[in-house]
Amino acid sequence: MRKEDTVKLISAEGFEFVISKEAAMVSQTIRNMLTSPGSFAEAQHGEVTFPEISTTILEKICQYFHWSLQYASGKETEFPIEPELTLELMMAANYLHT
Amino acid sequence: MEIELEQGWEIIERGITRLKNILEGLPEPKFSSANYMELYTTVHTMCTQKAPHDYSQQLYDRYRESIEDYINSMVLPSLREKHDEFLPRELVKRWANHKVLVRWLSHIFHYLDREFIPRRSLLPLREVGFICFRNLVYHAFYRDLRVSVLSLIDQEREGEEIDRALLKNVVDIFVEIGTGQMDYYVHDFEAAMLRATVAYYSGKASNWIQEDSCPDYLLKVEECLRSEKDRVSRYLHPSSEPKLLEKVQNELLSVHGIQLLTKEHSGFHVLLRDDQVDDLSRMFRLFSRLPHRLQLVSNMFWQHVTDEFPGLVQRAKDAARNNTVFDMENEIGLLEVKYQAYVNGCFENHTLFQEALETAIRLGTFTFYVLIDCDVNMVITTDVKLSAEM
Repeated sequence: MRKEDTVKLISAEGFEFVISKEAAMVSQTIRNMLTSPGSFAEAQHGEVTFPEISTTILEKICQYFHWSLQYASGKETEFPIEPELTLELMMAANYLHT
Repeated sequence: MEIELEQGWEIIERGITRLKNILEGLPEPKFSSANYMELYTTVHTMCTQKAPHDYSQQLYDRYRESIEDYINSMVLPSLREKHDEFLPRELVKRWANHKVLVRWLSHIFHYLDREFIPRRSLLPLREVGFICFRNLVYHAFYRDLRVSVLSLIDQEREGEEIDRALLKNVVDIFVEIGTGQMDYYVHDFEAAMLRATVAYYSGKASNWIQEDSCPDYLLKVEECLRSEKDRVSRYLHPSSEPKLLEKVQNELLSVHGIQLLTKEHSGFHVLLRDDQVDDLSRMFRLFSRLPHRLQLVSNMFWQHVTDEFPGLVQRAKDAARNNTVFDMENEIGLLEVKYQAYVNGCFENHTLFQEALETAIRLGTFTFYVLIDCDVNMVITTDVKLSAEM
């Protein structure tokens, strides 16, 4: 995948997740940021830091993005969520408008 | 970790100020995604805190105040010092900037659009942003804008080169300021534009109808209609097209229609007599948009065909006197064929003209027999099924 088609999502602990832009834009918040006109996108190389989201949750979120794209294209599988992650995951989803 | 109102607002306001500076072209380091996320997060936190620390209402109000403040302190002063053609240019630029500002801010404050705004049935962020510009800027300057647009349009009609891109951008403001409604475009711009168009073509028509022959006048009309249609596609809103063309047609064809058709040396009868097929076709094309006026033309056609018969009568009488053959049915048949060609060719088989032809031939034939004296010795070659048709 070309670098221009990816974004890097960074967790609170500094863990970096490189995913496709298409997947990241499942989050309306990230989509808004990437499509804001003017001085945003060119300056960054598509890096977003989430100081409030832990690595475990962010990883799950990235998995969700990919699952969401697959579901939309017809592969209707289940998305497993460990119960102990549920609350944090929901808060993060709210924040990211997913 | 809770955020207090003023504490959080300080962060947000700092970010907004940076955005405003960027728009003003002031030197500012680029706005990073980290900056963006900080602002978004602050808003998000302040809206999801438990009451009484849910600051959604305050943020909604301050969003609007922020925009109004920017307009009052930076936008309006810069507009007030511009005159003539510099005003529309500055306005176009400020409107473009405003749309960018609203986009940025509505993304940062986006969380309000998701919960608070729908719950209270308030105006969405984007609309609030546009309405600020409309109330503070548009209402102050739309008349000036209108004057400059109409002036440019008339200049272009007179053949001058104008800045079409600027014109389109200005007209787009009238469309976009309505946030989905065309009311402002129609009332603040289109109505005046149509009036100005009527005035312009009324003047031109009065001159042309005196100076030009019918074919030349028709050529000008065709050119005007084409040019105005082109104008709409280049910088007006498509909904203006039918209204605009109707006004132009009315001034150029309806008002002077009779005078045009009855022009002594170039009017309808002359064109038909001289077989000016192109001019007749053009005349039909143009008048077919005006059903009442088209009837005038078909009446004249009827008259023209009918007027052929006295000549026939005379030729029949001369032939009788000289004892030569006059094939009446053939002669009428030739007449019918001749004019049928015009119905098919120039008048596109239109029923008005087909009926005019048939009625004229019938009436003419009947009159022909009435006018032929019984005591003149005539050679009639074939039976006439006249009585059945009558």
